[in-house]
Amino acid sequence: MDYYIQGILILSGINLMAVLGLSLLTGFTGLFSFGHAGFMAIGGYTAAAMTVKYHIPFIPALLIGAIVASLVSALIGVLTLKLKGDYFCIATLGFGEATRLILDNMQYFGGARGWPGIPAYTNFTNVIIINIIGLILLANLIRSKHGRNMIAVREEELASQISGINVFKYKLISLMISAAYAGIAGGLMAHYMTFLQPKMFALTKSTELTIIVIFGGLGSISGSVLGALVLTSLPEILRAFSNWRLVIYGLAVIIIMITRPEGLMGGYEFTPKSMKKLFFNLKEKRLKKSAGR
Amino acid sequence: MNLLEMKNVTKHFGGLTAVSNVNFEIEKESITGLIGPNGAGKTTIFNLITGVYKVTEGKITFDGKDITNKEPYIIAEMGITRTFQNIRLFKKLSVYENVLTACQYNANYNLLEAMLYLPRCKNQEKQLKEQAEHLLEIIGLIDRKDFIANNLPYGLQRRLEIARALSLNPKLLLLDEPAAGMNPDETAQLMNLIYDIRKKFNLSILIIDHHMDLVMGICEKIMVLNFGCKLAEGTPIEIQSNPKVIEAYLGVEG
Amino acid sequence: MTQFLQQLINGLSIGSVYALMAVGYSLVYSIMNFSNFAHGGVIMFGAYFGFFYLTLFRLPFTVALLGAAISTSILAIIIERTAYKPLRNRKAPFLYFIICAMGMSIFLENIIIALPFIGPTFRTYPEIFSKTPIKIGSLAIGRLDLLMFIISSICLGLLVYFIDFTKIGKAIQATSYNIKASALMGINTDFIIITVFALGGFFAGIAGVLFGMKYTVYPQIGVITNKSFIAAVFGGLGSLPGAVIGSILLGIIETFTSGYVSSQYRDLIAFVLLIAILVIRPRGLMGKLNEDKA
Repeated sequence: MDYYIQGILILSGINLMAVLGLSLLTGFTGLFSFGHAGFMAIGGYTAAAMTVKYHIPFIPALLIGAIVASLVSALIGVLTLKLKGDYFCIATLGFGEATRLILDNMQYFGGARGWPGIPAYTNFTNVIIINIIGLILLANLIRSKHGRNMIAVREEELASQISGINVFKYKLISLMISAAYAGIAGGLMAHYMTFLQPKMFALTKSTELTIIVIFGGLGSISGSVLGALVLTSLPEILRAFSNWRLVIYGLAVIIIMITRPEGLMGGYEFTPKSMKKLFFNLKEKRLKKSAGR
Repeated sequence: MNLLEMKNVTKHFGGLTAVSNVNFEIEKESITGLIGPNGAGKTTIFNLITGVYKVTEGKITFDGKDITNKEPYIIAEMGITRTFQNIRLFKKLSVYENVLTACQYNANYNLLEAMLYLPRCKNQEKQLKEQAEHLLEIIGLIDRKDFIANNLPYGLQRRLEIARALSLNPKLLLLDEPAAGMNPDETAQLMNLIYDIRKKFNLSILIIDHHMDLVMGICEKIMVLNFGCKLAEGTPIEIQSNPKVIEAYLGVEG
Repeated sequence: MTQFLQQLINGLSIGSVYALMAVGYSLVYSIMNFSNFAHGGVIMFGAYFGFFYLTLFRLPFTVALLGAAISTSILAIIIERTAYKPLRNRKAPFLYFIICAMGMSIFLENIIIALPFIGPTFRTYPEIFSKTPIKIGSLAIGRLDLLMFIISSICLGLLVYFIDFTKIGKAIQATSYNIKASALMGINTDFIIITVFALGGFFAGIAGVLFGMKYTVYPQIGVITNKSFIAAVFGGLGSLPGAVIGSILLGIIETFTSGYVSSQYRDLIAFVLLIAILVIRPRGLMGKLNEDKA
């Protein structure tokens, strides 16, 4: 395959991994985070430390990164998930920025100047495989009782409580899983760029991830996949307009929120079943049309 | 033995006393009514029993176990479920999904089994689905199972809320104004439904409602609240002839 | 001791500018119950307006300052009309407002970078006030710091007067208690919301100019303004006195951190403070407590 296209696909795949996690948290559990870049950073730096400093193989290093990101998210979650309204959102924003600033001051990891020389382990094949595994696990989760409980929490907290759902626990689980996904994405990124710098995980990165989830449609995995593919590759292809990319992102978010807050897919999924249904509906419409004539 | 006992239960909101020193019991497999003028503290009692509000003073026991100030989901797991005055469904989900979600209590596979879709998850999911359909059949919503909850007519939304509450196999069901906004015909249907589910599920029911024909018609025992205090307690006939109750509802003469 | 006083003065000066920004967050929050992240973008625009009024049009300082404030005031109203009003009409959940605000802040920051005649370069304000500090004993007070403190204090004083003693101000207070009831009592809540955005925008413009003079002007200046948001949370979102006290405290904490610990930790301490306050006392120093009703 063309080297250039492969690169774009790898970048999309890395973004997709983080977006999948955020999709669980935002789209299915109804919690907004402006600090997921922080979890990516923790996953990335941890995984890179494992391969560079402790010579641990790539996949275990990724998993360790994911676990550390997940544990940190648990700490944040226990402290702030009980807060009402947008306070959780604000807390994640604070966490994301604090993480970046701490890394800026950690000379062990190169501080603000960055950390070069990370081995290039991420390639097209392992990104695809990891994404497929991530997708399957997530889809299974969402269709299970645990996934339904998260959706219930998103829809109506009090009703969930009296249906025997531990709202706090499910918010925490959702946050931890989504942080683990972000951690893996960070690890993949570190070993693709072969270079890490705290700047890569600024607030803009967090909002970019949230934008992709919203663009794809809250509560739709297929939407998130589509969103990650389109919104990562488009600006890469339109490099000449790179300055305008974020301008358009910002505008797109406003327009989506005003006109179509349910996003591209609006909670629908691409599954064999839904495709059949769509096809059937189209056929029926056509039949009705011809009958009308 | 009593299923639920409230002993000297008091609830303050800041300086306001919403419920004051209430003692109250519910017998097993009984239908009990809770009536009183607006603002008497009826819904507050529901919120105290289900753990939505914390009790300021006093003790609530259920099935011999202390449930005072337990988290709502734990109380739900122990066997108390409810409906809400201002219906709280999972609005954007379908009728079927509403009930299926609440059935979660009957499956115990863990997160890992779910993510890997292991056999235990597969089997239990199948059971849950059967259970949800069975419940919808009993409650008479099976032919509308793919409707979005929010699009159902008002009366059916109340029915769905009852079905969702029944998914947890409760021992005690609290109904908060189930007949609000219903015409006499619908109210009669609701009465039949309440009789029906008590027989089928062997449970106790506590009802708040302003429709006196409904409350007097199906309740074996009634408690009257006024300004957060218990005013009277007894059979429907006793309550109807109690001068204090008549005074609270109609005001003092002269 | 001298160093202590010196840091205190610097802290007060920077804190008072934070306060100018923070009241914008708090005003909007008190009425509409969401964190208006676009405010940082408005402040940044204020810095640019002031810069261009001074350099391109060569306006006198006071005119440029007022011009910038009026321009950002209009900008804030435009933002409200285009981004938030449609959401309000639809009674959208508050999270949509936050996301929309985030989108707006991304848009504002990047339009400046993308526009060819502005771009990402750092720009320095012309030197209007002499850099030689005023000496009081062994203390050295920068003229600009003093100016920042004075202008901010005047603005905040005017705001207090406006909120407490004018009819519109009282209507704003009523609306912040209960927007629905206020609408029923005949208050034009739509007008109140515009007023609140205009006020927040006005102070944002002044703060932007002062900030631009103190440091430099660049598109990411909004990131620094995030700290004034932290100050608003610190004091209690929705509370004006809280926003002012939170800002002054944050300003002092920051200057003391950079003075006594390390300037590298100055930004970090703000965000750590944010998380700490959310964990320990989420309603902030003076915020109101919302109890949920079932």
